[in-house]
Amino acid sequence: MNSGFWTVVGFTARNKLRAKSFMITTLIIAVIMSIGINLPYIISQFSGESKPTPVGYLVTTVDQTSSQMFTASQIGTLLTEYYKSQQPKPDLNIVTIKPANDSDKDNEEALKKAVADGTIDGYITFTPSKNKGDFPIVTYKSESLMEGKVSQSLKGALQGVKQEAILRGGGLSDELMTLLRSPVQLDTVQISTNGGAGSIGQGKTEEEQGMDMLTVYVIIILLFMAIMISGQMIASEITAEKSSRVMEILITSVAPLRAMFGKIFGMFLVVLVQLAIYIVVIVINMTLPHNKEKLGDMGISLSNIDPVLVIYALLFFLTGYYLFATLFAAVGSIVSRTEDLGQAVLPITMISLAGFYICILGGIQNPGSTLVKVSSFIPFFSPYAMVVRLGLSDPPLWQVWLSIAILLASILAAGWLSAKIYRAGVLMYGKKPTLREIGKAMRSYK
Amino acid sequence: MNALSLEQVFKQYGEKTAVNGISFEVEQGEIYGLLGANGAGKTTTMRMVLGLIYPDSGKIRYNGKAYSKEQLRGLGYLPEERGLYPKVMVSDQIIYLAQLRGMSRRDADQNLKRWLDRFAVPEYYGKKVEELSKGNQQKIQFIASVIHKPSIVIMDEAFSGLDPVNVELLKSTVKELRDGGTSILFSTHRMEHVEELCRNITILHRSNPVLQGNLKAIKKQFPRERIILATEGDVSGLADIHGVMNVTRHEYGYELLISSEEAGRPVLEQALRQTNVTRFEIMEPTLNEIFIKTVGENHE
Repeated sequence: MNSGFWTVVGFTARNKLRAKSFMITTLIIAVIMSIGINLPYIISQFSGESKPTPVGYLVTTVDQTSSQMFTASQIGTLLTEYYKSQQPKPDLNIVTIKPANDSDKDNEEALKKAVADGTIDGYITFTPSKNKGDFPIVTYKSESLMEGKVSQSLKGALQGVKQEAILRGGGLSDELMTLLRSPVQLDTVQISTNGGAGSIGQGKTEEEQGMDMLTVYVIIILLFMAIMISGQMIASEITAEKSSRVMEILITSVAPLRAMFGKIFGMFLVVLVQLAIYIVVIVINMTLPHNKEKLGDMGISLSNIDPVLVIYALLFFLTGYYLFATLFAAVGSIVSRTEDLGQAVLPITMISLAGFYICILGGIQNPGSTLVKVSSFIPFFSPYAMVVRLGLSDPPLWQVWLSIAILLASILAAGWLSAKIYRAGVLMYGKKPTLREIGKAMRSYK
Repeated sequence: MNALSLEQVFKQYGEKTAVNGISFEVEQGEIYGLLGANGAGKTTTMRMVLGLIYPDSGKIRYNGKAYSKEQLRGLGYLPEERGLYPKVMVSDQIIYLAQLRGMSRRDADQNLKRWLDRFAVPEYYGKKVEELSKGNQQKIQFIASVIHKPSIVIMDEAFSGLDPVNVELLKSTVKELRDGGTSILFSTHRMEHVEELCRNITILHRSNPVLQGNLKAIKKQFPRERIILATEGDVSGLADIHGVMNVTRHEYGYELLISSEEAGRPVLEQALRQTNVTRFEIMEPTLNEIFIKTVGENHE
């Protein structure tokens, strides 16, 4: 009778994979994923490789700053130099504008004209400070609203220019100047102190840590999607079989348990196929040359993914799937009409959502928190929480296996309970039964 | 040895007794009628035979053997309501159901094609069930219940929702199955089908088997108390004859209710004195009348 099980598996998987709705959903999600991965590249294409914003200033003979140390032309030159040497690419492009004459008003007009021409986006003017000898007050004028990026950049640049001007005045040697200018290097490395099961191993660079965080995000979202979507599919298929009364024929042909686990396993194959498609789409998109470069700039690269984490993630996906799937099957068997299903699966959905949010909102920011630690041993939360801990902190090996053991035990318990509910539920029609009625019905089948 | 035998089968749901000690036997190649009003316990009995639910007490034997999972394969089930996947192709689901009952894919496919030809609807092979009319879905449902060549078939309201042509078609198919040695447990509300098909019957009323046995023997137990009289002209004075309780005039003549068969002779003589008689018959009680009488009396 083992053939019964595989017949159900085959029928379930075949019908689902061939269904138009399934193909369309998979395709849409794959397209969304591709767009997401290509987004950095697409944005960079639209913003035209983000040319430096041209900013003008006036080269006048009459100095506006009334300061000996910081003349307008000196500041202008230093600013130009500063931006020319900015890495990886300059924010701004400093442009000199020829003055019209000696009149301030006409000069302002000339600058405005340059903005109108499009030669420059905005310009800076200098007003003498109250204290003679101080750095002049610089004003950036442009047509745009809230030019935060430009003013931030200018502020930083002007600070540097000011220091440079002072230091030059102080007669510092070039050697010392270079030393002073060179930035401080700070590396952060995540280390493991107890040789735990996490993916830290020999220590991790910041890039690897970032990639881990991203991987954990993606895994948790995929896990959540796989559990919810497949769970809903299992429940609704069982309810549909019930409401179309195929169930009566099915359970006279194959033992109810085989029918239920056949359905769960068949749907598991479907989910695997779907996940495989998504992973292939992600990998292909990420390895496309243009994306590889763009994402590489952001520190995202496939080679930074930790294989240990992936293996554990698969393990927790497997256990998490079966735990939720059996419960969804049980709920599906109780309900007789598809319309009632949404309400009936709500408790399971809520539990799954709770686990998901604990990890997405709290866990990823703070994987060592007590909440996440406790959650990683609670069956319905542990598939999410333990993956977070494994990816981002360093749980001891025994804790990981304890968590898996608890999960396996709960799967057995949930499987046993669901099988009993299923056996009784599939023949219950009419209104939604109460817990007592289910209990009563369960006792009448051995 | 009987194909199917039930012995004092009893089933209770909570406080409510669903089936109260039913016993009957179905021989090989026999159609057994299970009759009763709605909620009388027919479906529960059938479900117990199918092993969907277990009796609280009593025995059900299949070809002399007790219930086992293997017996399932020898059973076919035609449920009262449609039990098919609406969105799955006919061929896919019929072959699936046949495979679940242990048939090979190839045999199932061949059988399905043969049955579709038999019902003159070979074009349904690749259609989805939801595209078919209700009557045609019933044909597919019928095929689903017999495709794996079961030795015992349980049919719950097999002919509901069918037009007269298709009823005849399915009826003759059921008879063919019977002649081929299949035992059929058959339930319906339509008494004329039972009279045509079943040798033995059980009438269930409120969970209790109230009338049971050979259909002809049952009919003999009930007095013949109806006369059909067809004449060329009018007949008067029929109501005054001793033993005649009621006279109804129809287009073809008269229908009389009598207290005993002895009233028949004076009625015929009275009619012949006045006009020519084209038809005179002391009617056997119909199963319909018996059913209403049995179930109705118990209603009080």
